[in-house]
Amino acid sequence: MNSKTTRTLSAAALALALGSALSIAALPAQAAGDMEKCFGVAMKGHNDCAAGAGTTCAGTAKTDNQANAWKLVPKGTCEKTASSTSPTGFGQMAAFKAKS
Amino acid sequence: MKLQESFSAALLNPRTPPPTGIVGYNDDIDRRFAVYSNNVQSGLINALATSYPVVAQLVGEAFFQAMAQMFIQKYPPDSPVMSTYGSQFAGFINSFAPARSVPYLADVARLERLCVQAFHAADICAVNPGLLTQALDNPEGLAQLHLQLHPGVASLQSPYAIAALWAAHQSLGQIQGLNPRQPQSVLVLRNELRVEVFTVSSGCAVFVHLLKGGNTLGLAAGHALEADPDFDLGQALALLISHNTITGLQPTHEALP
Repeated sequence: MNSKTTRTLSAAALALALGSALSIAALPAQAAGDMEKCFGVAMKGHNDCAAGAGTTCAGTAKTDNQANAWKLVPKGTCEKTASSTSPTGFGQMAAFKAKS
Repeated sequence: MKLQESFSAALLNPRTPPPTGIVGYNDDIDRRFAVYSNNVQSGLINALATSYPVVAQLVGEAFFQAMAQMFIQKYPPDSPVMSTYGSQFAGFINSFAPARSVPYLADVARLERLCVQAFHAADICAVNPGLLTQALDNPEGLAQLHLQLHPGVASLQSPYAIAALWAAHQSLGQIQGLNPRQPQSVLVLRNELRVEVFTVSSGCAVFVHLLKGGNTLGLAAGHALEADPDFDLGQALALLISHNTITGLQPTHEALP
């Protein structure tokens, strides 16, 4: 790209823009945080994401309550949701090793 | 190898007879091959209709089927993953003469492709906003900052009102009073599990496109202002931050190739 024709923004202008963006974004960012990823509570094929090495997509969990598949649940409810695979008996906030 | 090639070519073209050398338990080879061929083609057409529902609505089922039929002959799948099938569809529509009466069709297809890509993009968490706040401590370094965006983020500029057309075809917007010749730029992203489409300024589209290409904050913002004097950098950054699309930042001084 031709830098001669490009407007350059001063450090102050960039700082002002980023600063205002952070203050605008602060509220919605908190509102979006009222869900949490909960491992071990999704029914087969109904996980929201992460099941098995290398997969990134929803709906790939092969068994009910799969230990490495998560589902988004309202914040604070994960560790109160029963999970048949979890050693604690409830969902966990990180992938775990299923009890046998 | 010869048989395999003629077999696969015949599968995708309903007018090609089955290749010689095929045997079956009865003599009805033509009919049996036609059943297989029909399954392959309708499977691919259905995959396209699933990825491009608004394109299908805009032209109607019969037109879409015929257009898809010609597309699959020209672009047979090169991956077993059907969600990636049809990435050349917008380009094909652009050069498909019968579709010229719907000039915005190719750009609507581009938008729908970006939505599919965003939906299947890898799952990467947003950067801690605290790191962005820290970057403010060194204003002189901001121009050289690299912002990494979520892989599902993409922007698109069109001479047509593609976001409004797209929204109007899934009960998100109104078709009444819609002027398709109104230029629109769109930003597609995935926030958590939802694919979201925003109408943005052309400057914002340029800005996101350049950031996605690995350019620095200073360069991307400069070019965005050049393209659109009304470009609001603060607003564009706020949109990206609040929808969890900034996944990392690197205060590097490396020259980009």
